[in-house]
Amino acid sequence: MTCREFQEILPEIVDGGQSIEQEMHWKSCQECSDLVADLTVISQQAITLRGIDTPSPRVWNSIQIALRQEGLIHASDGLAVVPALGRRWSMQWLVPIAATLLLSFGAVDYYMASRQQPQAQVAEIRQPATVADSVNAEDSRLLEAVAVNAPNMRATYEANLRDVNAYIRDAEDSAKNDPTDEEAQQALVEAYAQKNMIYEMALDRSLR
Amino acid sequence: MATARKLQGGELSESEAIERAKQGDADAFEALYDLHKRRVYSLCLRMTANAAEAEDLTQEAFLQLFRKIGTFRGESAFSTWLHRMAVNVVLMRLRKKNLPIVPLDDPLESEEETSKKELGGPDQKLAGSVDRMQIQRAVEALPPGYRTIFVLHDVEGYEHNEIANLVGCSIGNSKSQLHKARMKLRDLLKISRAAKAETH
Repeated sequence: MTCREFQEILPEIVDGGQSIEQEMHWKSCQECSDLVADLTVISQQAITLRGIDTPSPRVWNSIQIALRQEGLIHASDGLAVVPALGRRWSMQWLVPIAATLLLSFGAVDYYMASRQQPQAQVAEIRQPATVADSVNAEDSRLLEAVAVNAPNMRATYEANLRDVNAYIRDAEDSAKNDPTDEEAQQALVEAYAQKNMIYEMALDRSLR
Repeated sequence: MATARKLQGGELSESEAIERAKQGDADAFEALYDLHKRRVYSLCLRMTANAAEAEDLTQEAFLQLFRKIGTFRGESAFSTWLHRMAVNVVLMRLRKKNLPIVPLDDPLESEEETSKKELGGPDQKLAGSVDRMQIQRAVEALPPGYRTIFVLHDVEGYEHNEIANLVGCSIGNSKSQLHKARMKLRDLLKISRAAKAETH
């Protein structure tokens, strides 16, 4: 058997099922032996690529928003965020924060609508977009409340808040750098929507 | 049958999460997502070589799953069902973009060039010099059609008859394209190694 003949049949036999003649050829031929060895290494290394990457929290947040809009999910029973005593009132501080975030949506909506206005007017409207920085202390309070009764969820909330705050900061920076950038405006709205979703989820738990 | 794995710090098995998700339980959905997100996202990322697109496809795959979860009866493993759904979502996207899922059965280069390269002078084997990062980059550099077959077979473990069903080609074509994908990867890895050697 020649090397050419062996390599023509290689697609059929490289993963097994080779004849004795084929096996004898590649074991005795340095070039074909190296080729088989290389293809085996590639195939074996490929498995190390399975399941190694993690999507950003944005993906789950977007899924949740869609599922809620379609009425496919509701908050689960149990796993209340705060102890039973004073549960209802002790989480009411979340309401103004959620409202602040919703007002931010309104501010950004107004900002988007006014992007055709002269720069001086746009500059005046810009200020509400930085409200994301001022809620970090509230994020800590949220995490403390989550940790009280659902410690296994605390790490998830913390990671989500960290990522969504970074997302908001990036979107704010982009929007400030170019007030006419529609994609940046849309990203900012989405970022606030995601943060609002996190607070809504915590509020949902507290009202059980 | 669904694997009875513990999710969410040991509070919920996968089968329990599936049953509760069928009732619309938000925590159950989240538990299932956390369990399978890496596998699905990695599949999408490997097949598209684009992180933003992979996230969109991951979202779409899970949304389809959650919309249809009421129909899951447990005849196959839940992970298999989800994975197959994700593959179909990616393939549909590739078809919409008119990207070749399986390239036509023509060689990347002439047979003469292939012979010269393969039967040429001595060359070092790849064994011991290929790590995960290198193979990851090489896979990203593959043409889309070759990448699809390679990812489905070598990364995700589909058999050729399954790939043939999924992408609509023959088993022989699947084997042939896989071989070409591996040969192309071999070239890419050797070029990368040579370039690295030159800088040191």
